[in-house]
Amino acid sequence: MKEIIRITIGLTVTCLVAALLMGSVFIVTDKAKKHNEHVNVQRAMLGLLGYTKGHPAPSDLRLYTIYRYIIEDGAIRTLGYMLPVVRGEQGGYQLVVIDLDGQFVNRFKLNITPEKVSEASERASALKVVLKPPKIFVYSDSTIVAKLGKKRLAYLLPGKFPGFKTFIDVMLAIDPSFKIIGLEIMEQEEDPGLGAEINQDYFKNQFKGKSFEKIKKINVTKEPLPEEYKKYLETKKGKEFPLPKGVVDTIRSKYQDKDIYALTGATISSQAVTNGVKNMIRKFAYRINRLDSVISRQHIPVAF
Amino acid sequence: MPATTKTNFQLVSNGILNDNPIFRLALSMCPAVGISTTVMNGIMLGIAVLFVQVFSSCTIALIKDYIHPRIRIPTYTLTIATWVTVIDLVLAAYMPAAYKEMGIFVKLIVAFAIITMRLEVFACKNSVPSSFWDGIGMGLGFMAGMVVIGFVRELLGMGTILGHDVLGFRPLLFFVLPAAGFFCVGIMMAMFNYMELVYNRKKRAKER
Amino acid sequence: MKILGRKFIFLNILVIISLFLIGGCKPEHRFVKKTAFKDTNKIVIEFAGPVDEAWAKNRSNYTACEKPDPDIRLKIIDVSLSADKKKATLVFADDLNKNQPHVVTATKISSEGKSLGTAILNVKKFYLGYLFSILIGAMIINNFVFTKYLGLCVFFGVSQKKSTAVGMGITFTLVIVASAMMSWFIYQFVLRPYRLDFLQIVVFIGLVSLSVQAVDTILRKVNPLLFKAFGVYLVLVIANCIIIAVPLILADNEYNAWESLMLSLGAGLGFLIALFLMSSVRERLELANVPPTYRGLPIAFVLAGLFALSFLGFSGMSIF
Repeated sequence: MKEIIRITIGLTVTCLVAALLMGSVFIVTDKAKKHNEHVNVQRAMLGLLGYTKGHPAPSDLRLYTIYRYIIEDGAIRTLGYMLPVVRGEQGGYQLVVIDLDGQFVNRFKLNITPEKVSEASERASALKVVLKPPKIFVYSDSTIVAKLGKKRLAYLLPGKFPGFKTFIDVMLAIDPSFKIIGLEIMEQEEDPGLGAEINQDYFKNQFKGKSFEKIKKINVTKEPLPEEYKKYLETKKGKEFPLPKGVVDTIRSKYQDKDIYALTGATISSQAVTNGVKNMIRKFAYRINRLDSVISRQHIPVAF
Repeated sequence: MPATTKTNFQLVSNGILNDNPIFRLALSMCPAVGISTTVMNGIMLGIAVLFVQVFSSCTIALIKDYIHPRIRIPTYTLTIATWVTVIDLVLAAYMPAAYKEMGIFVKLIVAFAIITMRLEVFACKNSVPSSFWDGIGMGLGFMAGMVVIGFVRELLGMGTILGHDVLGFRPLLFFVLPAAGFFCVGIMMAMFNYMELVYNRKKRAKER
Repeated sequence: MKILGRKFIFLNILVIISLFLIGGCKPEHRFVKKTAFKDTNKIVIEFAGPVDEAWAKNRSNYTACEKPDPDIRLKIIDVSLSADKKKATLVFADDLNKNQPHVVTATKISSEGKSLGTAILNVKKFYLGYLFSILIGAMIINNFVFTKYLGLCVFFGVSQKKSTAVGMGITFTLVIVASAMMSWFIYQFVLRPYRLDFLQIVVFIGLVSLSVQAVDTILRKVNPLLFKAFGVYLVLVIANCIIIAVPLILADNEYNAWESLMLSLGAGLGFLIALFLMSSVRERLELANVPPTYRGLPIAFVLAGLFALSFLGFSGMSIF
């Protein structure tokens, strides 16, 4: 009996000490983790816009995030956009509800500060105030608008689509005419040496500079990637061009309207990325045009 | 309790050479096959294992007199799991890129037979300092094994070392393929066996 | 025996609860019997009775979209009606993304001149098929040993003889299903709601030891003969990384109870398959003339590499 008590006490003490240790480490690291994640995403976004350490972003570059929700009220479904509005007029965010045909339905002021808006739980509690049950809202996606001075520089679209094995997580940058500025693979679990090559410059950079008209019909070709094009794709920005300037321009114009060259041994992964990008841009172009027309008709003082 | 009579240096070199966890004891093979595609992965996971091994060894050596023999194994498991959680949280927070690369394997250190074995065989019988050096030796031995495999696979598969282009071309894409890990480890083990065989033969020839 | 009975009751309750959680896959309108995908670009709607041909063939009576994108309508190019007028097939301009549930709205369904109101129909993949694909996926396509490289220590340790391989595989499957289901339950209902995710490693390894101990005790009392055969392997189960990897994967992917059951069962059976294949070859290897430096583990590793290469051929395969 005495032994059992000793064992129990020993185990309890060990568990307590272990729990205390893990709890304190968790508290210390959790903040750092969130901060680092935020910094990483930020860096990826600026990198896509062409701003690196050696070439920092100008001070008047602003990034605004639009959050899209699907609102269900019984059988009626509408879209809710959380839009950042100009400071001064109460600042912060407004919710604009648009029906499925692109007609304006309603708008609400939201009680949320720009600092808290990146937290999903904070957004949900702010939305709950204006969308009372039985209305249900489901988060759908977000878009980042980059604004330089007074004009829109680019849209940054985070996206996720099924790859060959699991999901591929990407960030896409397109300019206001929906031409692709850049593509970054954020997360993927394809086979190393095969599908994981989508992370290589010579694949990602093929998307650069493709126009909206081209991307709507873009396909994957199984032809081998020409050597000169590969060289062109692998030259990094900021570094000196190993190719002479004139050659770069001719190569660019030569391959501008070509399809995407598939990776050797990973046609399905290449296809998945191409189709994913195509769908993301098509859907986005459709939505942002509707949203912009509502914004201008309703005179919503949006920040972007 | 028979305390070890070896010096600290012997303890460390024992872990790296004689009792190398990967090539000699053939324990904790999963990461050696799974994520040894680059040298960097080997170093990172090696650091994680080193950390867990040293801290668990020290903890057990410190409290060995208070552990009731009947709950010895659960205590070991709890200790290892705690330190794995700590290193997992720290890596996730401060080295997100490397952490993503290693994936689930950091958490799986908890099931590595090598750590429990060292606690059972060594730490529960020896003082804190010698357990510390033994842990260092085992951790370094694991890291060395991972780095050697990673070196071969990275050089032959991608033509790079630590991400720097060395060869300028890719000799054999096959070595980056996940399945090549098995071949690499198997052939290396055979090479070590061969070296041992030759060494022993020479030794015998000398004795004669 | 009593403990076993209780466990079954508990499992039954779990099953019933999860059935409610999953919800019915039936469409929401009383006049519509079934909806399903067909080919690459078709959706079939089956009605309870005959519908009017003029209504059914009018494309503008239907709208379809993917569930997350209700504002982007998919283009319907044709509607055909079966001879008994109960089955309408919508043909779309583009291929459908079947992984995504779709929503089809049929406005003012008209049957024998009467209007039956508007139906909003969910079109999903067959759920049992999905479950089955998880099982096969964990078992063969993403085999834990040959494509994820887990559990190798035990794998090389016990694959020398067929009989031990099968014994180990069965014991392992039993323990992994029990422990993974417990871990799933604790993770979903305790760790996540209270934001204690960071304790998952400790909790999962604790649950694994607990279930090994439980299986040990139960087997010893209920069937000593079986215990004699399989008891030896129980100790080895804890040293297998798969048993801790599966709960971690379940926690990451937010599977529901059924899916978790299928994944853990698949992982266990996959390990059994890997062990059986390997042991069959290694038994043959005993008779072969292997160079002395390769004897034992090295040749086993090369063999496993060959298996892994052939399993790479399954990679990315999808069923249903």
